[in-house]
Amino acid sequence: MLSSRVEDTPWVDSFDLPSVFDPRLPYYKEWHDFVFFDRASQLFGLLNFAIHGNPYDSKRGYGAVLAFLVDSGGRTHTALKLIPLSKLKVTPFTPDFHGEGVASVSYSPGSSSFSLKGGIDQIAFDLHAPVVLAPVTMSQIGLEVLFKNRLKEEMLEVASEMASIWDKWVELPRLKVTGTVSVGGTSYSVDTTTGYQDHEGGRFDWGSVAGWDTGVLLCDPSLPGEPERVSFLFYRYGASKESSYGGIIVRSSDGEERFFDSEKVTITRSGEFAGERAYLPGVTRLLYPDYRPSIPATIAFSGSDESSDSVEIVFTPRAACTIVVAGMRDESETTFNEMYCNATFDAKLDGRTYHKTIPCWFESVRPRRWG
Amino acid sequence: MPLRLKRFLEELLKLLKEDFPAQLEKLIEDAEGLTYLQVLDDERAVITVKDRRITITGKARKGETNIRIYTNRTLLFDALEGKVALAEALAAGELKVFGDPLTLLRCYAIWERVMSLARTSPRFYFLTYELR
Repeated sequence: MLSSRVEDTPWVDSFDLPSVFDPRLPYYKEWHDFVFFDRASQLFGLLNFAIHGNPYDSKRGYGAVLAFLVDSGGRTHTALKLIPLSKLKVTPFTPDFHGEGVASVSYSPGSSSFSLKGGIDQIAFDLHAPVVLAPVTMSQIGLEVLFKNRLKEEMLEVASEMASIWDKWVELPRLKVTGTVSVGGTSYSVDTTTGYQDHEGGRFDWGSVAGWDTGVLLCDPSLPGEPERVSFLFYRYGASKESSYGGIIVRSSDGEERFFDSEKVTITRSGEFAGERAYLPGVTRLLYPDYRPSIPATIAFSGSDESSDSVEIVFTPRAACTIVVAGMRDESETTFNEMYCNATFDAKLDGRTYHKTIPCWFESVRPRRWG
Repeated sequence: MPLRLKRFLEELLKLLKEDFPAQLEKLIEDAEGLTYLQVLDDERAVITVKDRRITITGKARKGETNIRIYTNRTLLFDALEGKVALAEALAAGELKVFGDPLTLLRCYAIWERVMSLARTSPRFYFLTYELR
């Protein structure tokens, strides 16, 4: 099946709890990421609802809720709260995540919408998020790419590596998001159709992951000059952990889709980001007071294909949140750089030209280098 | 009612024995000879590492303590949550540390390793938050 329907959301997006007999239970991890940007209030939000570790052992497993918000003044607000398993409810039948006293995600099949409610430290949210576009799984994207493009060795290598690590990699390309978010007593009204959600999970230790660059331009296709959607994923793999394969998917407002793969895309990074940064968990700052992973001032993707269609996206990070996660087996650590960016999107697709600056979520993941 | 400091340290030691026995062995080896006074708000606990054994008591004999650390719960959780850096806490007088520099460095390295363990242990995390 190459397409899903909005009605498929509950089973495509539900939690994949492993069997209690699974030998890799200690390495289990799974999460929802909800991302939105409200253009009126200029508020960017990333909310993450996760389970880590053995979900059947309260000494070894836990839930976590993380918030990364950037307000209209460019100030970064972050919070992270862990939830004991005794206060967390998830099931393999729904996307629901109920962290008693912290936050909850409830999916209503009747209205095909999520309800997100919670409060962590100085951040509180009460959001309603109807699913606008049907969920897309990584297998669906992979098959589409294989059908429409010449088969390449890198495609198979990255597909095989991802399949060996990830049990789930699903996205909901568009959500409407309405409600309120309050930060330190200031309340923001949210009403946007540019919401996005992804849901990933697997049973692996962080040391086995070489990283990736992924993200999505939070497009509003009802506005002139904006495409339906733009997303990208460049996944790192291989023994050296330096090989990378992926691409940019652009869907025009009339539904035409283009895939610019790594072979057709040049990535350049320049300068050093000097804006506001946050670090999570808080203990990262205590353990590594001087840790400041490099984040470029600009990242440019430039791609073209045989039909003379082209795309150029220049990402300018406005705020960043660095999350350092520790491995279980050894001392390996992985750094997530979550960035809220302005993305200047220039493209020529089927004779139509685009030139627009669009807010964007960019996630860059790499093993943390020691020293 | 927050957990008392001495009880916290006893529970932490139990946790390390159960969940991180290899790391605890190494910590004990590196901490041999330390008598460490921790003051948290108005509570005191003395951790002694001698002959490969850790003991936690309420006080130490005069002249026995070679490290003394004074802090409070507010600072502890602000530091754990990344709201304040240790250098800022020292400058503000919220954290006071006494001891010879080499012993302090040794202590810092041990403490750093214990903090690292907390990141993969929900037991450790929730136990720490019982102090608040």
